[in-house]
Amino acid sequence: MSLATIASGVFSDLVGVITVSHLRKAYRHVVAVDDLSFDVEAGEIFGIVGPNGAGKTTTVECLQGLRHPDGGTIQVLGLDPTSQAAELRQRIGSQLQDSALPGRLRVAESIELFAAFAHHPVDCNELLARWRLEDLRAQAFDTLSGGQRQRLFIALAFVNSPELVFLDELTQGLDPQARRSTWQLIREIRQGGTTVVLVTHFMDEAEQLCDRVAVVDGGKVVALDTPQGLIDRLGLPSVVRFTTTEPDLGWLEKLDVVESMARHGEAVEIRGIGPVLALVASELVAHGIVPLDLRVERPTVEDAFLALTGGDIRE
Amino acid sequence: MSTMSGYLAMTRTEFRLFRREPFSVVFVLAFPLMMMVLLAAVFGNKQADAHKIQNGMLIWRGVTPANYYTAASVAVIVAALGLLILPINLASYRERGILRRFHASSVRASTLVSGQLTLALVTFVAGTVVLAIVAKLAYHAMWPQEVLGVVVALVAGTAAFGAIGLLLATVIRTSRSAQGIGLMLFFALWLISGTAPPRAVLPTSLRDIGGLLPLSHLVTAVQNPWFGFGWSGTDLAVLAAWAVAAGVPALWLFRWD
Repeated sequence: MSLATIASGVFSDLVGVITVSHLRKAYRHVVAVDDLSFDVEAGEIFGIVGPNGAGKTTTVECLQGLRHPDGGTIQVLGLDPTSQAAELRQRIGSQLQDSALPGRLRVAESIELFAAFAHHPVDCNELLARWRLEDLRAQAFDTLSGGQRQRLFIALAFVNSPELVFLDELTQGLDPQARRSTWQLIREIRQGGTTVVLVTHFMDEAEQLCDRVAVVDGGKVVALDTPQGLIDRLGLPSVVRFTTTEPDLGWLEKLDVVESMARHGEAVEIRGIGPVLALVASELVAHGIVPLDLRVERPTVEDAFLALTGGDIRE
Repeated sequence: MSTMSGYLAMTRTEFRLFRREPFSVVFVLAFPLMMMVLLAAVFGNKQADAHKIQNGMLIWRGVTPANYYTAASVAVIVAALGLLILPINLASYRERGILRRFHASSVRASTLVSGQLTLALVTFVAGTVVLAIVAKLAYHAMWPQEVLGVVVALVAGTAAFGAIGLLLATVIRTSRSAQGIGLMLFFALWLISGTAPPRAVLPTSLRDIGGLLPLSHLVTAVQNPWFGFGWSGTDLAVLAAWAVAAGVPALWLFRWD
C-alpha cells in the first residue's frame, strides 16, 4: 500500500467516506440533481430513496465517476471522482442499473474477467459460493433469469474487495427468499467493514437494511435520518384495529392519544399518536372488552416516504 | 501488472465469444474466399491479362486476375472489420449496457479494443492461409512471396481500420445506424480502392479519391510482398498515419453510455 493510499484512507476517515455538497447535474435542459448535499460515514449502510426520476441514479453515477457533475463538490474515499476516477474505481464496487454482459459469456468467466482488472481481486470460487452462483458457473449470461443476473452483478460489485459499494436497485427482480438472503449477505459485508450505499425504491428494503436514509425528490434531499427517525419526525399516526359487538365506545375518544375513531359495523379503527395500543388496550380491559384481534399498525418508512414526497408515485 | 492481465483476460474472452458465435467464424473465413472466387470467375486467370494496360497502368499489376484478387480479398476482410464489425459490436455493447459495466470496473477503451483487434488479427492470418491454399488449388495461384511482409501489412491494416472502427463507434450511437453508415462506407471504399474493379480502369477522379483513403493503401501493402514486389513503405506509413489520426481522438472521446 502506497503512502498516498494510507494518507487518503486516514483522510477519508476524518471527512467521512462520502461528502457531497451542492451537487448539480443537468441533461440538456432537464435538471436531474439540484443542490444536493449529504455525507456518508464509514461502515454504514446508507440508503438513497426517492420516486422515479428523483435523481438517485444520477447522484450515485456522479459519485462513481461515471458522470461529471455540472456543479458542487464530491469527495469519495478522499478522492475526486472526476479527476481521480481510475484510482477510485479500484476501491469501490458498483452494481449498476441497466447493465449487461456479452450474451455468450459464462458466469465463472465473467467473474474471472473482471477480477483481472482488480488490483486486489477476491477469490473467484469463494465469490461464486457466497452469491450462490456455483451451479451457474458454466451458464451463459443470455440464459440467466433476471434474478440470476442480479446475483451475478452483485457478485461483480465485490470482485475487487471494495471499501465502498454502490448498489443501485439491489433486489430488483429477486424473489422474496432471494431478497432476504441478499439482505443478510449485505449485513455480513458491512460487518466486514465495507460501507454500502444503497439506491432503492423498496421502502421495506430501506427500513430493513439502512442505518440512515436520504429521501431524494426533485433532485434535492428532502429528508435525511434513520428509518425510525424519518417516521418519528413526521408524527405519523398509528392505527389500532379490533372488532367488538359493544355498541357505545365513546369513552375511548376521551383518551388523549386518540385523534379519531371510525366504526364500520363491528370493525373499529382508532388513529392516534404515541402509545395508542397500550392505552386503548387497558381501557378496553377496564370495560370488560377483550377483543381477540386487537392489533396496531405502526407507520412505516413507506408512509414517511409518501408523506415526504407528496405521495404521488411518478412512473 | 494489471494492465497486462486485463489485456490478456479481455483477449481470452474475445476468443471465447468468437468461438461461440459460429456466424462470425464463417464470415471471416468465407467472405474473402467468396469474394476471391467470384471475382476470379468474372475476370479469369489468363497469363495474357497480366500485362494488359489501361490509362497507362498495368490493370492487374503484372499478375493474373486470380492472383490479384487473392491478395486484394485479404484487405477487404480487414476493411469489413473496421467499417462494419467493430462499430456495430461496440454500439450494441453500448446499447445493452455492457460498456457501462466495463467502464465501472476500470476497463479502458484501449484494452477493450486491443482484445478485439488481437482476435481480429489472428483470424485475418488464418483467413489468409485458407485463401492462399484455395487459390493455389483452384487457380495455381502463387504463394505469398514474402510472408513477413504480408503479416506486417495485416498488422498495419488492422491498426488503421481498428482505429477507424473505434472512431465510428464513438461518433455513432446505435448499432442500427452503425450498420447503415458502415455498409455505405464499406461499399464506397470497396468500389474505388482496387478491391472490386482494379484502380487502373477507374476515372482519374475516383482513383484520386481512393488514393486518399486507407483501403487502397492496404491493398498495395498486402499485394506488393505477396507478388514479390518488396515491402511498400509508403503504404505502411499511410496506414500508420490513419491509425494515429483516427485512434487518438477515438480513445479520447470514447463514450461508454
